[in-house]
Amino acid sequence: MTTKYAETEPRQDAVKHVGRPVDRVDGRAKTTGEARYAAEHRYPGMAHAALVHATVARGRIEAVDTEAARAVPGVIEVLTHENAPAMKPAPKTSLMNLSSLASGTTVSYLATDEVHWNGQPVAVVVAETPETARHAASLVRVAYRELPAVVDFAAEEPNASPQKSSVLQPAGGDKGDAVAALAAAPVSVDLRFTTPPEHHNAMEPHATIAVWDGDRLTVHEGTQNIAWLRAHLAQRFGIPERAVRVLSPYVGGGFGGKGFVWAGTLLAVLAARATARPVRLALTREGVYRTVGGRTPTVQRVALGADGDGDLTALIHTSVAMTARIGGMPEGVVSSSRHLYDAATIHLRQRLVRLDLLANTAMRAPGDSVGSFALESAMDELACELGIDPIELRRRNEPERNPMDGKRFTHRMLREAYEVGAERFGWRERDPRPGSMRDGRWLVGMGVATAYHPSLTMPADVTVRLAADGAVVVRCALQEIGVGAATVQAQITADELGVPLEAVRVEIGDSELPAGPGAGGSAQTAGAAAGVLDACRKLKESALALARRAPDSPLRGRRLDDLEARDGGLYHGGRGETYAAILARAGRDHLEAGGGTGMLKFLAKTLNERRRWVKAASGAHFCEVRVDRDTGEVRVSRWLGMFDVGRVINAKTAAGQLRGGIVMGIGMALTEATQVDPRTGRIMNPSLSEYHVPVHADIPRIDVHWLDEPDPTMPLGLLGIGEVGITGVAAAVANAVRHATGKRVLDLPITLDKLL
Amino acid sequence: MRVTFTVNGREESADNVWEGESLLYVLRERLGLPGSKNACEQGECGSCMVYLDGVPVCACLVAAGQAEGRQVRTVEGLAEGDRLDAVQEAFAECGAVQCGFCTPGLIVQAHDLIARVERPSDAEIREALAGNLCRCTGYEKILDAVRLAARRKAAT
Amino acid sequence: MDFLRPTTWEEALAAKADRPEAVPIQGGTDVMVELNFDVRRPAALLDLGQVAELRAWGMVGGFCRVGAGVPYTTIIEELGGPLPGLAQASRTVGSPQIRNRGSVGGNLGAASPAGDSHPPLLAADAVVEVESRDRGVRMVPATAFYLGVKRSALEPDELIRAVHVRPATGPQYFSKVGTRNAMVIAVCSFAIALHPGERRVGTGLGSAAPTPRRAYEAEELLARELDWQAPLDPALLRRFGELCAAAAAPIDDVRGTAAYRVHAIGVMARRTLTWAWNDHLGRRAA
Repeated sequence: MTTKYAETEPRQDAVKHVGRPVDRVDGRAKTTGEARYAAEHRYPGMAHAALVHATVARGRIEAVDTEAARAVPGVIEVLTHENAPAMKPAPKTSLMNLSSLASGTTVSYLATDEVHWNGQPVAVVVAETPETARHAASLVRVAYRELPAVVDFAAEEPNASPQKSSVLQPAGGDKGDAVAALAAAPVSVDLRFTTPPEHHNAMEPHATIAVWDGDRLTVHEGTQNIAWLRAHLAQRFGIPERAVRVLSPYVGGGFGGKGFVWAGTLLAVLAARATARPVRLALTREGVYRTVGGRTPTVQRVALGADGDGDLTALIHTSVAMTARIGGMPEGVVSSSRHLYDAATIHLRQRLVRLDLLANTAMRAPGDSVGSFALESAMDELACELGIDPIELRRRNEPERNPMDGKRFTHRMLREAYEVGAERFGWRERDPRPGSMRDGRWLVGMGVATAYHPSLTMPADVTVRLAADGAVVVRCALQEIGVGAATVQAQITADELGVPLEAVRVEIGDSELPAGPGAGGSAQTAGAAAGVLDACRKLKESALALARRAPDSPLRGRRLDDLEARDGGLYHGGRGETYAAILARAGRDHLEAGGGTGMLKFLAKTLNERRRWVKAASGAHFCEVRVDRDTGEVRVSRWLGMFDVGRVINAKTAAGQLRGGIVMGIGMALTEATQVDPRTGRIMNPSLSEYHVPVHADIPRIDVHWLDEPDPTMPLGLLGIGEVGITGVAAAVANAVRHATGKRVLDLPITLDKLL
Repeated sequence: MRVTFTVNGREESADNVWEGESLLYVLRERLGLPGSKNACEQGECGSCMVYLDGVPVCACLVAAGQAEGRQVRTVEGLAEGDRLDAVQEAFAECGAVQCGFCTPGLIVQAHDLIARVERPSDAEIREALAGNLCRCTGYEKILDAVRLAARRKAAT
Repeated sequence: MDFLRPTTWEEALAAKADRPEAVPIQGGTDVMVELNFDVRRPAALLDLGQVAELRAWGMVGGFCRVGAGVPYTTIIEELGGPLPGLAQASRTVGSPQIRNRGSVGGNLGAASPAGDSHPPLLAADAVVEVESRDRGVRMVPATAFYLGVKRSALEPDELIRAVHVRPATGPQYFSKVGTRNAMVIAVCSFAIALHPGERRVGTGLGSAAPTPRRAYEAEELLARELDWQAPLDPALLRRFGELCAAAAAPIDDVRGTAAYRVHAIGVMARRTLTWAWNDHLGRRAA
């Protein structure tokens, strides 16, 4: 098995657009500054809002003094729980209505005197300018009666309670008696890992513009889920969904942070209603940290037992993560351990603590990114114990079927990923002895780890319209968070209809369009592709039906499955005709078709599939680090990721997704941590100067490659690509550091002091 | 106070400017030029970069009054009519653009780099762009774009 | 708020004397952050950007006199010869765009213990020229300038005009550890300057105490025991590192632990002295 295609090479057989490194359609808008992000729209009379954040973790507001704020010239209104109009409470969550999951927290803002976290908005100032609003907000004085608060994750960890399983996410499981097997294992490791809270730090801070026109609401916001945002706003403000329009053509990065609805959004809409003015609320970077959740911290135990040959006899992976009293998403921390290794016995448990902090939320590969750090570090340590090459250890334990339950994999090529990756990376040059490879004062280390992320799809409604002049318009309320959503769907459409790429325009980012899937769970591209394929097929069927009515059509008597869509029409061998000819003959100026699956049908199909199959994107990371032997400074010097992500639609955008995931993982490994004051629950580093994301000078050349094998169960064979890149990365770094220094770092991030 | 300066070749004035306001604020909120992005307000991310008298700076760290009478060039002023600058073209072409929010600042900084250094080495590019954070791309393609733009610029 | 725009040094001094509460602003890399974050709202800003002489440097009385507004970029490009330690430190400040605006004067004015220019100024015996309209010029040695975290010897009616540093007569080095390769505030930093004419070595520690400081005992050790003709004695090098580390009085913070900082100061002290000594012996041999 070899890789067929590198990221910049077109498929050898490609006469089509799918698979090619097509330029993104919004490149011009984004490089000239023309692209308008949420905060950059203007309305006559637009006012500006700023938040006042609570400074205690839990308590009751005893008094709010807004006098000084109101006295600032240009202040229009100061909203507090004493005068704000009511919002409806957040809905009860239900799998039958996925948009009920949209709320970031369960808090009804400015409805009561209760404070649930340090940073919760307790007042909103609306003013004529953003600067005035912000300054006035700093003048609002709030007196609190503090209540006891549980904010220290580390201290609370022993009190964790078992996480509940759901249909979509089991929280534990057992295969055999892993505890006994571990005790009996001739070779074993038993390690305790910790990972800190993290924040997405998408470059665009969250911003909302809310405009009421009677009972109709227009909202500009960069969101990862237009449909959820619309449904949630309708529900909270008691208006029909059709009265809400969400506009979100450009989203300045999300990574999960814009997947749910947070306080700023709701308060902008509330402020607009209260003041009868269009209101813009653009959060500061600090405001994002205070009001938008981040990744949960975790404590994990991974214990592995093996026989002398390295066959796993026991795999134990348990975790403690957080949610908040006011909501939050229980993460599938040990999820990767359900799928990666063919251990004879397995014991998995997830537990949770509930804290008086802002609710946690999804951040790129929730569960798997942190879980893979622990599991893949432990595998590396076991390899060290056994004296076996870490790739060989993984190869020996590569399962044929899903280890927990024997379900089939739709697709699994980890062996190939390691084999080809090792060759390209030069793994054989690694001297396995720790500290044995040096370059001057730098200790050189090489590490590997497995990437793994479950694949799913979400339903999308799509319409495709083909005009007589050849113009094709695809409509679907997709979110462009940087992935190239419109670009890849245009490629798919062009191939399906057999029209030039330039003829296809994809309209996205507007709730007036047919509902799209959210940009989350690496599911947007596949979901939308399914809708596009369906709509294109129906459109071609309509075209064929029109053609077959004409006695002189060369398509007469043909079935769609016999035809090829190419050159702007349908052909059987050399015979066929263009859509233009079909439309002209029929006297029609366009054809239009809709595609997609209803939610109920979709859920039924998903659950049915899950009973039979396990599917995921996966890959192998190869990392080389250099560690300064005296100061402990770690520099990543080489990286190669070899992925199995099914079919790749656009080599250029796909490489960007994978590479971006790897770099975020390097940040997770070495620098990123949100510091929460264990006494007050206040985030202490809410800025890009104190929360360190990787900069250009930290990142070496990163090679990404993929095995271009379509998955048989996914639309076009594509597996989601947005999250798999980050999984395993922190472990690959930690494993390389272990190789360089002999030190196993169990607590992220791997800061300098941990290596001395 | 009133502030008057030249933006992309045109003289612009803003009235009632608060003395503590940044150049970034004036550009985005008063002059209708939101190409320069607001992402950190502390000079950490480079999203707001503009030329000030030919020197690339973070517009968030320039007090509006400090721009009085000076020349400002923003990302909106790099293309010549419909013709994109070589850097803009290369960014779009190389896949150096994802969400796009860091892009304007990076383009200004890269534009300055290749104006000063004809064929920057990889190390020079990494160093020059170290103050421009990007959370999407993993940086690699940005490096490609700068190399390509430099090559094309040198060829013309 | 008032925005004061003097165009000459005299006007600037007058403005500061009349409005001692006015906050000087040059590159804006510190002041604008505070304004943007609304952590302070001074009654007036005193823009020094129009005072051209602040951005000039020249030789005065055997010293290199660097105007308070000379941006780091200029120091890197033009002063690497006479002030190698300061130029090296300047290269590690923030990012290119920050170095285009930020200046030594601003670094001194902010007096953050993590400021990158402080250690090389200390190691090279820099003197800060400050001035007020009413009391004239004061020459304050760098060692006396830093009084506490973000507190300096500058009086409310004074402005920093320049720093005076004797051009290097021997090798100088600056070293800094951080979690990233760029855009990073020092976890801690160290500067060394060899003064062969005086048979003396200067040191400067950054981010290792409430103020930037010298390691006096370490300097005295070398003054006493260093043989300027011979290769470096490993035992002496080790003791030098230990005394530099002992001079540190750091705290734990989000960037690093106190213990790590003490360790790293020792490492950087040994490392920079070794580099400097190799240069020194190389120069003698050449």
